[in-house]
Amino acid sequence: MARRKENDRAQQNNDDSDSNPNDELEDEPNFDDPEGYEDDISEEDLIGDLIRQRPKETDGVESIVVIDGVPQVGTERIEKLQNVLRKLFQKFGKITNEYYPLNADGSTKGHVFIEYSNANEALEVLKGTNGYKFDKNHTFTVNLLTDFEKYNDILDKWENPIPQPFKEQGCLQYYLLDQDACDQFSVVYEQGDKVAVYLNTQPEPSLLEERPRWTETLVRWSPLGTYLATFHAKGIALWGGEKFQQIVRFSHPGVQFIDFSPCEKYLVSFSPLADSRATDEPQAIIIWDVLSGLKRRAFNADKSQALPIFKWSHDDKYFARMGIDMLSVYETPSFGLLDKKSIKVQGIRDFAWSPTDNTIAYWVGEEKDTPARVTLLELPSRNEVRVKNLFSVADCKMYWQKSGDYLCVKVDRYAKLRKDKSDIKYSGIYYNLEVFHMREKQIPVDSVEIKETIQAFAWEPVGTKFAVIHGEPPSTSVSFFEVKTGQTPTMVKKYERKPCNQLYWAPSGQFIVLAGLRAMSGTLEFVDTHDFTVMNTGEHFMATDVEWDPTGRYVATAVSWWGHKVDNAYWLWSFQGRILKRVALDKFCQLQWRPRPPSLLPAQQIKDIKKSLKKFSAQFEVKDRLKMTKASKELVEKRRKLMQEYEDLRKQKQEDYDAQRRRRIELRNNVDTDETEGRGGELEEETVEFFIKEETTFIDE
Amino acid sequence: MKPLMLHGHERSITQIKYNRDGDLLFSSAKDNHPCVWYSVNGERLGTYEGHQGVVWAIDVDWETKRFMSGAGDNMLMIWDVQTGKALGKIEAKTSVRTCNFSYSGNMALYSTDSTMGNPSEIFIIDVRTVDSSFSENDPILRIPLTNAPKATSMVWGNLDEVVISGHDNGDLAQWDLRTGKKNNLVSEHAKSINDMQLSKDGALLITASKDCTAKLFNAETLECLKTYKTERPVNSAAISPIMDHVVLGGGQDAMDVTTTSTRVGKFDARFFHLVFEEEFARVKGHFGPINSLAFHPDGKTYASGGEDGYVRLNQFDQSYFDFKFDY
Repeated sequence: MARRKENDRAQQNNDDSDSNPNDELEDEPNFDDPEGYEDDISEEDLIGDLIRQRPKETDGVESIVVIDGVPQVGTERIEKLQNVLRKLFQKFGKITNEYYPLNADGSTKGHVFIEYSNANEALEVLKGTNGYKFDKNHTFTVNLLTDFEKYNDILDKWENPIPQPFKEQGCLQYYLLDQDACDQFSVVYEQGDKVAVYLNTQPEPSLLEERPRWTETLVRWSPLGTYLATFHAKGIALWGGEKFQQIVRFSHPGVQFIDFSPCEKYLVSFSPLADSRATDEPQAIIIWDVLSGLKRRAFNADKSQALPIFKWSHDDKYFARMGIDMLSVYETPSFGLLDKKSIKVQGIRDFAWSPTDNTIAYWVGEEKDTPARVTLLELPSRNEVRVKNLFSVADCKMYWQKSGDYLCVKVDRYAKLRKDKSDIKYSGIYYNLEVFHMREKQIPVDSVEIKETIQAFAWEPVGTKFAVIHGEPPSTSVSFFEVKTGQTPTMVKKYERKPCNQLYWAPSGQFIVLAGLRAMSGTLEFVDTHDFTVMNTGEHFMATDVEWDPTGRYVATAVSWWGHKVDNAYWLWSFQGRILKRVALDKFCQLQWRPRPPSLLPAQQIKDIKKSLKKFSAQFEVKDRLKMTKASKELVEKRRKLMQEYEDLRKQKQEDYDAQRRRRIELRNNVDTDETEGRGGELEEETVEFFIKEETTFIDE
Repeated sequence: MKPLMLHGHERSITQIKYNRDGDLLFSSAKDNHPCVWYSVNGERLGTYEGHQGVVWAIDVDWETKRFMSGAGDNMLMIWDVQTGKALGKIEAKTSVRTCNFSYSGNMALYSTDSTMGNPSEIFIIDVRTVDSSFSENDPILRIPLTNAPKATSMVWGNLDEVVISGHDNGDLAQWDLRTGKKNNLVSEHAKSINDMQLSKDGALLITASKDCTAKLFNAETLECLKTYKTERPVNSAAISPIMDHVVLGGGQDAMDVTTTSTRVGKFDARFFHLVFEEEFARVKGHFGPINSLAFHPDGKTYASGGEDGYVRLNQFDQSYFDFKFDY
């Protein structure tokens, strides 16, 4: 076809040269250039725009596809082949031309050219038949003719890509170098219009940065605290460094949720509205490389899945998602499926990574005669290191301890089961806590039974204790259990009738806040679990959130505008429950502490520091006191200045007042009332004696 | 010291005022009977009977001869304090929202609401010749606030030469009585001004606004000097006659009360230092928002009237007088 077109064009050109318009219009003035005139204007200048539109030889080539891998047949079967192929390729559009190159002996060469009426149809063919298995020995390879040109153009010599200039970001970890190791926190207020970052200095937090419209909804710190992520309609931006400059941007329209991998190498963004209408490329979930800002892989989302859809292993090496009857584990940095296939798990209900090892815990529901079971799966070996069968299970919930030493599975068990057509009704629910000792041989499992409804469960992040809220509100109880090697967990303390609904352990363990949030009107109880003393109780009315700072020195409680529309404020407490600061902000939404990466000090050094804490604390106290006196000095200075200004005003006012004295007296009928104000209240005391009653009493002898 | 609880009103208190001597306390409420009390022991002296609507505003002249009340039955009434007899009344077109005697007690002002097509208006009247023939038609001065926000609170200023009006959009306007023209306008508040009170010498003016702040103004220039911030609409604010203190009272609108706790102290009277704008004390007691506050002229007692219908007379402890800010 291309060839034919070319001929046509040649033909037309000939026609043009044949007909000379000057032949017919004799009386027109002669526009011919004089003899010997040389045109110094190039055609490009004259009609550049037309030249650019000139048809090219390759026009129309886009609609041609080349099919390789077609069987080579002799002359006698060529027609049959043509018929079969036509039938196959007609499905994608109108075939306008086909060409079977032949060998000298008339047999086909094994490739075919087919031209369609337009380029879109050719693209469809590409999608539909590339890799088509024609028969056992023949698989089609389909390409656009234009692609051949493209690949021909590739230079034989490899050219190194030009390295991008390195962008200096400054020290992203600067916040860890703070002299007094104060922590930063971010505050979102005015319904998300304003975001501020404060340094939690004592006695007053100091403002580091405040920006209007920094985010459109909320902000998030990355897990190690390096970046601050802001949400926008167009995507996500990460900020960092001393001045909070923009580090990188990820364009993902309609993004609503993000999740960092634990080592901050990758960012998963989820846009529930994005669909792949325009392209086949998945749009809903995108995994990005944080350092380079490049998209790594995109996935489609399944609407029904609970967030986060992807869960990361602790070292960023693997991430996994659950499907129906399977668990798909992907590896980085290839972002392909581990061993190229998902793990088949019939009836998988939930899974969770260990926070410190590449071990996945998942559980499988009951199915007819097979019991429910919890399995610990080691990766990448796919060894099942422990399987625990469980009977009469309604539901399970898995809680890893933060240090990865223990896994607790809360099992909701039933006494009776009634099936009502499609829905299943459980009755006589009771609870088992199955504790897996991860660090022991064979991983022994201990079990604790709790009869009452479990409202909340929380592991001590570092240590061997866990806390449980159980019972029906408002008469809930809080129990603490201690886990020991080779023993069932023992209850170490039970607080009867403690109205609370949330448990917040300090990040370093030992201290815990028992909080009754929202419906329980914000009661707070600060408990030292070393000897179970209640250090203090407090109330932040209608509090919606409790946040420990990353070092466990301070607790922030907040009434977020998202949860409660009035009295939006955040309060800062010491870990002992002493109120330090109340900050009321209009439409305050969110407070988040900037996380810290784990300490780099070796265990021995930490131990040494703990030992000599007394020595240090004396120094710190001196420092704190100094700061307090400095702050109060500043305050006094400020007050003195204000008072001075006010005194000046008052002096002037007093002069005016004295000057008006005559007029005041005139106005009030020559009565001087200046001095008599408020005298009416001073009453003189008067003693009045009344004779009330006279009585005579005889004393019996 | 235990406060005196005056329970004579059946509905929420709208305004309370001491007379100049401080021996009497006048109160008005949404029931139709303004009351007068002995401030020293809280004994009720009597009521002023005649209104048929919510009494919005009251005032007493400096001699404690005449008492004035403006009400939702579109009436402004002037009473003899001693006998409780109505001396005269003016029927307005709409409810009377504010009323004040001038410094001399010879004049009075009142302002009306804008409803049913009538604009809010400010009237200055002569009260020396008050009798039953009194009517709306013969004021000294009449300022209609056509197409302007209604006046919600008023005070006299500069020895009866000006009046200052607070409006429901937060504006503060000063009117020259000789010309009847507005000679100053400031917009410092974001929402309605609920109450205005002068300092003892008339040099400072404190406003209480729905925008959760109270502000201190120079009464002559209307320059904003200080701002006192709270988390609740402020319904009333007063300046202590003897200390550099102000007291603020307020609370949530009735419709939002169920979502707040009385325990967190949102219905407290809150004391701020006048100069430093720092809160230093709270007084609990009311179980609804405080609608009106007044200092006793000797500064040793203050009274608060609340949505709960009670008037509370609080006497300051010695520690109040001993407390000093460091500066």
